[in-house]
Amino acid sequence: MHRIRRIAASLAAVTLIGSAVPAIASATSVITISGATASYPLVQLLAHKYAKLLHNKVSFRISQGGAQIGINDVAAGRVTIGDVSRDPLSTDPPGLVFYPIAKYAICVVTNKANPLSNLTEAQVQAIFTGKDREWSQIPGATATGTIDLISRTSTAGVLTNFKTLFLGNKSVSKLAAEEPSEGLLEQQVVNDPKAIGFLSNYRADSGTVNPVGYNGVGCSLANASSGQYAAVARFYEVTKGKATGAAAKFISWIDTSKVAKKIVASQWIPD
Amino acid sequence: MLQRLRKPWSDNRAERLLGAVSFLACLTVACMVVFVAIHAWPTFEHNGLSWLGSGGSLSEQVERMLATSANPPASAFHIRVWPILYGTLLATGLAVLLALPLAVLSSIFIVELAPAPVRRVMIIVVRLLASVPSVIYGLIGILVLVPFVGAHLVTSAERTSLQNTVQLTGAGLVVAVVLLTVMITPIMVALTCDALGAVPAAWREGAAALGVNRLRAIRAVTLRAIRPAIVAATVLATARALGEAIVISMVSGSVFFAPRPSDGAAFLLEPFRSFASTIVDFREGLGAPALSATLYACALLLLFSAFALSVAGYLVKLPMRKYQVKG
Repeated sequence: MHRIRRIAASLAAVTLIGSAVPAIASATSVITISGATASYPLVQLLAHKYAKLLHNKVSFRISQGGAQIGINDVAAGRVTIGDVSRDPLSTDPPGLVFYPIAKYAICVVTNKANPLSNLTEAQVQAIFTGKDREWSQIPGATATGTIDLISRTSTAGVLTNFKTLFLGNKSVSKLAAEEPSEGLLEQQVVNDPKAIGFLSNYRADSGTVNPVGYNGVGCSLANASSGQYAAVARFYEVTKGKATGAAAKFISWIDTSKVAKKIVASQWIPD
Repeated sequence: MLQRLRKPWSDNRAERLLGAVSFLACLTVACMVVFVAIHAWPTFEHNGLSWLGSGGSLSEQVERMLATSANPPASAFHIRVWPILYGTLLATGLAVLLALPLAVLSSIFIVELAPAPVRRVMIIVVRLLASVPSVIYGLIGILVLVPFVGAHLVTSAERTSLQNTVQLTGAGLVVAVVLLTVMITPIMVALTCDALGAVPAAWREGAAALGVNRLRAIRAVTLRAIRPAIVAATVLATARALGEAIVISMVSGSVFFAPRPSDGAAFLLEPFRSFASTIVDFREGLGAPALSATLYACALLLLFSAFALSVAGYLVKLPMRKYQVKG
């Protein structure tokens, strides 16, 4: 008989806790976000600050997986906001609204042992389309031998932007290794003294690789903010239809508040 | 009511409950195969079995799939996955070929020849090694092996001669095969050791009584007895190597390329993609219907090869039953 009473008591306790949790959760609104790995550090900082300012009346659940994941998730209604690191495409599902939140620069990067300082548009195109295959063809390069091209899988938002901004919409050579994330691309460039690739400025500035200037302008946050560095793309928050409720307030806070602008300006470029 | 529930469970009721649980396992497998097959169907509808053939550039075909909207035209489904199939078979085959002799020889040492304290320690170490998560091997691969191979094994002559065909960066077949071998050998050793331990001592004593020396007894009696267990271990190890996604994605060089034996030693350094690593690399593209169907088709092929492996293992074991020891 004792056992039954104990079981009944624990059952009652579980039911109580179970019914209490949703009650607590409904007091705060939850914004779910998924999408681009490139904008994840920025969105994380913004969300953290926003939740703190509202005394945790709003909480965030943020996951990363890639721009296309963000598009798919938000279109299917699995998340409130999708993070996207590229401009809208004609192939995106209809009914999505893109809110630009910041701009970021894309840098061509090489191994630190090959501190190339500048490449012109023509040189970048010759290298990444596979026309020039030897480092000896590139003035200023200290590496020798074959150029190792490191690119991203065709689903990456940063690759889409790289093709528009640097290659005049030509495709990257089929020889290039296609890394599924920025982190793996960075690691391949760190590993290989003959490698060349491209990263968003947040990662290119981390000190592990050498950011290469483009058309005579160094790839740095300062040059990109002042508008001198041309290869700049946008991060978007994407909602299904116009943003409503907590998500709309969050997006307009990013757009208008001074605090948010300061966070954006720390490592990215206010839009 | 309560009184009835408190009565001890009859065998009858327990049997039914356990039956229901195992039926659930069958149901899960069936649902999974049906679900994957339904999603993969458009690929086979448009490509037929020439899906497995070769032709054209895979990266161009994938790009075309991504460029179509929600209702892709039939032409967007066109894909020929031979380089992936070949890469999968190559990496798995080489790893199993390397692992099999390693595993059998080291299990014989551990069970038959090693002194008891060494044996106890070795068995623990092998079991630990068998349970290391694969992503750790991937990290070691990309941080240690890939840079090492790139700096010391790839010659500049090889790089230059192939520079307009394929890039040799260090990431490629050899690193993937080494890591797969390290991953699957402990599983095979653990299973083979169990089987060796189950060989009746009387059989060995009988061999010794006939004046057979130790090595010959191992070859003629012990190894013969555990052949079914070796087959079972190989099947399990092959299945693990076949389905390994993360490690291959990290160290294989991430290029759709079919390594060419005609390139000599450079063949082992060439990059490739396997079915599992392709699914991981392109998971972002699941929103494009054509690409998603292709990835599901890759998954379906992996499911069927796991099934085919089990059947093949069973068939190979049939004639060995005469002297078998349960492993």
